[in-house]
Amino acid sequence: MTKPVRSDKGQRTYLDVVHVGKAFKGTTVMSGMDFRVAQGELVSLLGPSGCGKTTLLRIIAGLTGADTGDVVLDGRNITSLPAHKRNVSVVFQSYALFPHLSVAENVAFGLRARGAAKGDTGPSVTEALSLVRMSDFADRPIAALSGGQQQRVAVARALIVNPVLLLLDEPFSALDRKLRETMQVELKSLLRDRNMTAIFVTHDQDEAMGVSDRIAVMNAGQIEQFAAPAELYARPKTAFVMDFVGLSTRLAGRVTQVQADQIQIETAHGAVTANSTLPVGTHVTIGVRPELIAPQAGENTLEVTLTDAMVLGSKTLLHGAASEPDKLICELPGMPGGMSRGDTVTFGWSVADTLVYEVTS
Amino acid sequence: MTGTDRLFITISWMIAVCCIIFLMLPIVITVVTSFTSSAVYTLPPPEWSLRWYRSLALRAGLWDAVKLSLNLAVISTLISLVLGTLAAIAVTRGSFRGRAAIATFTVSPLMMPGLVVGVALLQFFREIGLRDAYWSLLLGHIVITLPFVMRTLLASMAAFDFSLVDAARTLGLSYPKAILQVLVPNLAPAYLTGGLFAFLASMDNYPISIFLTDARNKTLPIKMLQYLEEQPDPALAAMSSGLILLAVIVLLIGSRTVGLNRMING
Amino acid sequence: MTLRAERIGLLALPGLSFLAIVYALPLFMLLLKSLQIDGQFSLAEYQLFFADEFSRSVLWRTIRVALLTTLLALAIAYPTAIAMARAKGIWLSVFLVAMVLPMSVGVIVKAFAWTIIFRTRGVLNDVLMSLGITDAPVRMLFTETALIIGAANVFLPFMVLPIYAVLRQMDSRLPEAAASLGATPVFRFFNVTLPLSLPGVVAGSAFTFSLAISMYVIPSLIVGERQQTLSMLTARSFLYLRDEALGATISSILLVIAISVVLGSSWLAARLGARQ
Repeated sequence: MTKPVRSDKGQRTYLDVVHVGKAFKGTTVMSGMDFRVAQGELVSLLGPSGCGKTTLLRIIAGLTGADTGDVVLDGRNITSLPAHKRNVSVVFQSYALFPHLSVAENVAFGLRARGAAKGDTGPSVTEALSLVRMSDFADRPIAALSGGQQQRVAVARALIVNPVLLLLDEPFSALDRKLRETMQVELKSLLRDRNMTAIFVTHDQDEAMGVSDRIAVMNAGQIEQFAAPAELYARPKTAFVMDFVGLSTRLAGRVTQVQADQIQIETAHGAVTANSTLPVGTHVTIGVRPELIAPQAGENTLEVTLTDAMVLGSKTLLHGAASEPDKLICELPGMPGGMSRGDTVTFGWSVADTLVYEVTS
Repeated sequence: MTGTDRLFITISWMIAVCCIIFLMLPIVITVVTSFTSSAVYTLPPPEWSLRWYRSLALRAGLWDAVKLSLNLAVISTLISLVLGTLAAIAVTRGSFRGRAAIATFTVSPLMMPGLVVGVALLQFFREIGLRDAYWSLLLGHIVITLPFVMRTLLASMAAFDFSLVDAARTLGLSYPKAILQVLVPNLAPAYLTGGLFAFLASMDNYPISIFLTDARNKTLPIKMLQYLEEQPDPALAAMSSGLILLAVIVLLIGSRTVGLNRMING
Repeated sequence: MTLRAERIGLLALPGLSFLAIVYALPLFMLLLKSLQIDGQFSLAEYQLFFADEFSRSVLWRTIRVALLTTLLALAIAYPTAIAMARAKGIWLSVFLVAMVLPMSVGVIVKAFAWTIIFRTRGVLNDVLMSLGITDAPVRMLFTETALIIGAANVFLPFMVLPIYAVLRQMDSRLPEAAASLGATPVFRFFNVTLPLSLPGVVAGSAFTFSLAISMYVIPSLIVGERQQTLSMLTARSFLYLRDEALGATISSILLVIAISVVLGSSWLAARLGARQ
């Protein structure tokens, strides 16, 4: 995990989190955390609650101190620097707008904190507000704003100070779905225009996929995989990543045969072949992305009893009967129809598309 | 956390600890001096003794005063709880104008100089010909206790989900019965808190009571100040310790049932 | 259903009429009385009051003591509230007990306790002498300083709790947001914490000031007859001097001050609240 990062733009490492460890009240939240971001990259920390993503964010921001390790930003070691000296802006989940100040005063806050006189902040504030399309709201009180408006003010406030790094903690979680998508597009283009390096924290994989150049999938204080969305989806490195990003058919099984570089796995629903060299007797989890499964025989074939056929307009999801945590899901384009609960359907897919993970716990 | 942050926090903690000591100091000193064997207030006491507590039994008029104070406190609090419930329901659920003004009005006696209210009542009762000290005192103490009750009830009722009462009514209870069997039990913490603080306020009251007493009806605070003038010995510390004990018991009841935090913050 | 809604208002009648008759009416009558001489409207009583040097000194002393008490209480209460807002678990309980127990114990007990502490042969003098700070007992009782300390002690919880309540409710992310924007701890305090705590400061100060202006038991015990406050003068007028006109006048002045403080602080709170 320590090769130098090369993003599409070929930029050098900008943020370098080196071997950081943190424990709260005796419980270790993370240890030996290494994390590198290139300049101008938009990156997400994706994971379930408690995986440590917010802790990592706060350590980078300087709001929480790391017990061990270093944080290096643009060549400077900022590990012992307090938050207010780092020039790293944070957009909080609740936006944390100052209730006693107007919109314009909120946006001007960072400038004033750095010594600007009240009267001098006008032009910059106007510019920042127009960037987020909130120019008409300059003198309004915060309480009068809707969620989306508050978020835009929070972004303006964070960007006006020209931070070297922007951190966002679940910035869209309080918005409803339609608004969320609009804001993601807006924010992404805003950040790209300024070549801003940004790290998002989220538990929503759609959000991460939509906004990021690369996603770090975190679990229990560890980064399981740090790659571009396409890579995470097509080639998840662990079962956790496969489960967390996107849907999949997943089955528990045991290796029964090994031939050259292929193995046969026995599952509750039948035999499956995959490309791997795991020894006989290994407990494994296999997965297949639903759109790679067709309702006809293939290199791997299983007979499935349908529990549901969800017609979603652009696609249809077929769910097969399986006991947790196994899942049988097939995605068909469009609305072919003719299938319903109780029908027996064939799921078929190729050996190359089968993902295999050794069960370690 | 910067060094400056830590300094701020350390200083504020130091002041806070001093504040706690400052607040508890009078109470601790009172209790300690009540166990002195000497007739003057020197600390530490030359010897520990229960003599002052024993002397309380012989004090002229003390127990009558205690009984009167308890009587007034309990009865006025109970009446206030009833009046307060009705008024709080009206303010919370009614839709007439001036609700906020009525709410402020019922809590306002807390902000008025007690002395002025006492004087006003003295003159008023004289005007209308009410001469009986006990009834004057009781009416005055309802004025003391009602705001305490209103304050907690208004806050609690504003947070109460009245659809529970509606549900009870659809299940067959009449409105008054629904209030009694659904609202009151759910608001028990507020009743307890408001009632306990009202009780203590009544037990402690001097400025209103002093104008309404006569020779035969003296409440405990009045009697204590009288003793202070006539015979300022540590027996007073023993009496004070009794009141401290009462407060501790009340707070224990409150914290076991409702919890300290809720008692204070409503 | 609508009938019920209108009728609900009637529930307030018992309590409301009680207070109107036994509280508002007597106060109103008192106020009226102070504005009369021999049944006719006159401000003569007030003129007499303000013309008298002694009365003016009592008025000034009362206001001065109340202001100093409020300031002293605020100075101690603010840092205490800050520490309390960050307290958790057992420490929070300690704080809460330290606030509520003195409030519950009552003014009489506390005022009396301070007389024990301050008297010439009392606790504080013993401590000072045994520490060698003074040779002879210092006369503390009957001084204004003792009164201010005692009063601040009694009213301290009323100043701490409103500030604590506001600080507790403050979003803990706000100082963090300020820090991430480059605000030093000092800047953060003056531009985030302090402004947001102002409603609590206003409420606590208003309540403390009005309690301090009208306090009676505490000055009676600690300073006695020598340095009177308005409320003591009122009581004397009615109970000893039999000068009811004077008593009514002073009572009305106290009432006006109390009402002004309440209205003033509500207005101030509303102005602060409007920006929030």
